[in-house]
Amino acid sequence: MTSIRIVDLEKRFGETIALSDINLGIEKGEFFTLLGPSGCGKTTLLRTIAGFYRQEKGEVWLGDERVDEVPAHKRDTGMVFQNYAVFPHMTVFENVAYGLRVRKLPKADIDRRVAASLASVHLEGYEKRTPDQLSGGQQQRVGLARAMAIEPRVLLFDEPLSNLDAKLRVEMRDEIRAVQKQLGITAVYVTHDQEEALVVSDRIAVISSGKIQQIGAPWDIYKDPANLFVASFVGKVNLLDAELGASAGPGLRRARSGALDFAIPDPAGYSGTAVKLAFRPEDAVENPADGDQNIIEGVVSASCFLGAVASLDIDCGGTRLVIERHRPRAGDVPTNGAPTRFAIPPRCLMAFDSATGARLKSASASTDGGWR
Amino acid sequence: MSRQTSTQRGVDLWTFVTLGGFALVAAFLVYPLADIFRYSFTDKVTGALSFSNWVEFLSKPYYIKAFLHSMFVAIATTFFAVLLGVPLAFFTTRFRIRGSSALNTVAVLALLSPPFIGAYSWITMLGRNGFLRTALASIGIQLPPIYGALGIILADSLQYYPFVSLMTAGALTTIDRSLEEASENLGASSVRTFFRVTLPLVLPSVTGGALISFMMSLSNFGTPMIIGGNYLVLPTLAYNLFTSEIAERPGMASTVSLILMLCAAIVIGLQQSASSRRKYASMLVNRPMQKKLKGPVSVLAHAICYAIVALSALPLAVVVFFSFKNTKGPVFVPGFGLESYRQIFFDVPKTVTNSLLYSFAAVVLIAIIGTLLGFVIARRRTLAVRVLDPLLMIPYIIPGTVLGIGYIVAFNRKPFLLAGTATIIIMTYFIRRLPYSVRSAASILKQIDPALEEAGINLGSPPGRTFRTVTMPLMKAGIVSGAIMSWVTSMNELSASILLYVGRTMTMPIKVYLSVLDGFFGTASAMSTILLLVTGIALYAVNRWTGKSGESIVVSS
Repeated sequence: MTSIRIVDLEKRFGETIALSDINLGIEKGEFFTLLGPSGCGKTTLLRTIAGFYRQEKGEVWLGDERVDEVPAHKRDTGMVFQNYAVFPHMTVFENVAYGLRVRKLPKADIDRRVAASLASVHLEGYEKRTPDQLSGGQQQRVGLARAMAIEPRVLLFDEPLSNLDAKLRVEMRDEIRAVQKQLGITAVYVTHDQEEALVVSDRIAVISSGKIQQIGAPWDIYKDPANLFVASFVGKVNLLDAELGASAGPGLRRARSGALDFAIPDPAGYSGTAVKLAFRPEDAVENPADGDQNIIEGVVSASCFLGAVASLDIDCGGTRLVIERHRPRAGDVPTNGAPTRFAIPPRCLMAFDSATGARLKSASASTDGGWR
Repeated sequence: MSRQTSTQRGVDLWTFVTLGGFALVAAFLVYPLADIFRYSFTDKVTGALSFSNWVEFLSKPYYIKAFLHSMFVAIATTFFAVLLGVPLAFFTTRFRIRGSSALNTVAVLALLSPPFIGAYSWITMLGRNGFLRTALASIGIQLPPIYGALGIILADSLQYYPFVSLMTAGALTTIDRSLEEASENLGASSVRTFFRVTLPLVLPSVTGGALISFMMSLSNFGTPMIIGGNYLVLPTLAYNLFTSEIAERPGMASTVSLILMLCAAIVIGLQQSASSRRKYASMLVNRPMQKKLKGPVSVLAHAICYAIVALSALPLAVVVFFSFKNTKGPVFVPGFGLESYRQIFFDVPKTVTNSLLYSFAAVVLIAIIGTLLGFVIARRRTLAVRVLDPLLMIPYIIPGTVLGIGYIVAFNRKPFLLAGTATIIIMTYFIRRLPYSVRSAASILKQIDPALEEAGINLGSPPGRTFRTVTMPLMKAGIVSGAIMSWVTSMNELSASILLYVGRTMTMPIKVYLSVLDGFFGTASAMSTILLLVTGIALYAVNRWTGKSGESIVVSS
């Protein structure tokens, strides 16, 4: 059953178009993330669902109710705010009870639901505290408990972790995910942090310039990006301008970029020859066998150690490429000028229309979702 | 990205508040000011449209001199206010000065005291028969009597320097310490750092405080009236002209009023640009630290701070002291007692109750209407509100004397026959203080994250209930402390009410002024002491209520 449905939505601020052609359906119990750079419209979309903004065009459905004309306070959504928005003049208990008191629940019910909500965010015993006695992480837990307590139709998260420090962010995101799954409640989560999105989401909508670029599971977004924007926004890629050439065997095509020559999955049906090629640094295979395709030789021009991986900048005959070396050991972070040899398996090379940025898929591998 | 809520559509309570704001501006400001404008450009004799008043002003040395006097007094006051205020601010914020918060409290008390207490206190010290002057004369030091420019400048600068010191101190405590550290890290000495980094950073605040001092001195009526003698400045000139012109058309008084407003408008314009152009206050991280001084340097810093504050507290102390001296009619006689207080409570108890009642009535109106208008200005930026916002600030540039003249002219004919009523005095209290209340309500609201209101709405609470349960409780402390400040300033109001009172609507400041004129210093002192006491209690209440000291409220309003 669909929990949220957005149809042909458009939102403007004066002359500026903040969102256009938004269409999406979110399943009941799904953890759905709106991911994009700041200013892309993801928060605007969330606030439109909450009813803080009124769209110029299109429909917003919550369950089987069309809520376009329903004011924000009657939409029954539970929002968790970026800056917590915990009422500073109320205790933790009063904060969590606020929505329940508005709903005129009997006192016993309020007590029970506040206690349950606080328990699920591990804040038992904090009822009498005031927000200024809480840390940022604890305040955000109150914000979450407060939103859950009203048992809303959906939970809305507006970059809830961006004000927390790195360690707490990881802790909280796992907790949010756990609570959401435990309650089986639909969640819409806004973030600009791609790692956060990959970890918590069932599905992700990547948004840029007010438009949805791709909707898919984290795996698909990362492994099978629909366009250049998604490929470069989620994860790292090496980008090359290339010219398509002759066939390079069954299902393969030559693509030339400067001094480098690649065999890539044939973008059948593409009429042009100019493409953008992309591959991820971790897909480079070092010490390739002589028969491997797409062997590239170069010298290390810079290297850095990142803990789990070492990142190497390679000068390949004038083209700079970045590759990653996993679980680096002593000597795996080479000095500059060290010669290197690696291969890019053809299935790891993605081609994009150099004019529109749209992904050019090969006939055979298109449904495969890239290299699994 | 704009953060407007969806409730912004259609007609609601806030539409009516906006309309009410315009009605208020029309009735209380435009209507009386239009009269002043009209009379200024009307020939006194013929009643025809003419520039004769302006020609007369510009051609008679009598008027030009008053203008130059005003400028001289205001500039000198500003100079001394900066001279006293900046060192005090620097020492109390950057060095550990014992009792610095007490020093601040006393400075604020001096700032908020009725604007003429200083003047007449200096007269009792250095006037023709001043005890200090007599005492100095007996040991061979002859001083001229304090009347005139010198007296005005002395009283004004000792009253208004806290504007400079408080605003500068505010800036000094909020600039990012890292900036000074960066300067020193790059090799600059601490003296060089002060002049090249610290001073430029706090300069907008110093300028802001200086311009307010200029403005207050320019529009001050009580001080030059009491201590000025024959030295006329624009407000006293306007008053004299008006009281002598009252039978005919008040053309000259109106012209002087317009010139006064023009000067004030220019100063306010400068002040706005000084405070808005460059603001360097940083987030609350890396606050500057107070250095602990040792030995003679410490003694010197303490001496300077205490001397400045003591000098400004001296007139207040003298007033309190004299209120307990025995009097015989206008003459002080040896011995102490409560005779002066007895006289007040038995002879003129009405002035005390009048003051309390009028200012209370005004404050209730100010708090309610100011909060509503402040909400509209902070949260509803419709076109109408953007027009209304600057209009509501007009009272800033109307000196009390001008407002008094405007009101007595405009509200003393049908359909408003308000002369001699309590209503007209309450109206002036109300309108003079309203802009401060609107501003402070708006700035309180700007500090309340709109997300809090959205959270309330999101949890199912309708906008009205959200305003009541979330917004109002968060504004309460600010509103109450703002109201208390309004109450104090209204209690001490003289320059407009002096033109509007009749015997039965006399207030305490007016009584003090009249007692001083008649030479009854005992009653004047006792009355002033009561006003001071009320001011002090109010300051303490604000302090207790908000946890902030009075100065932050003075600075913010």
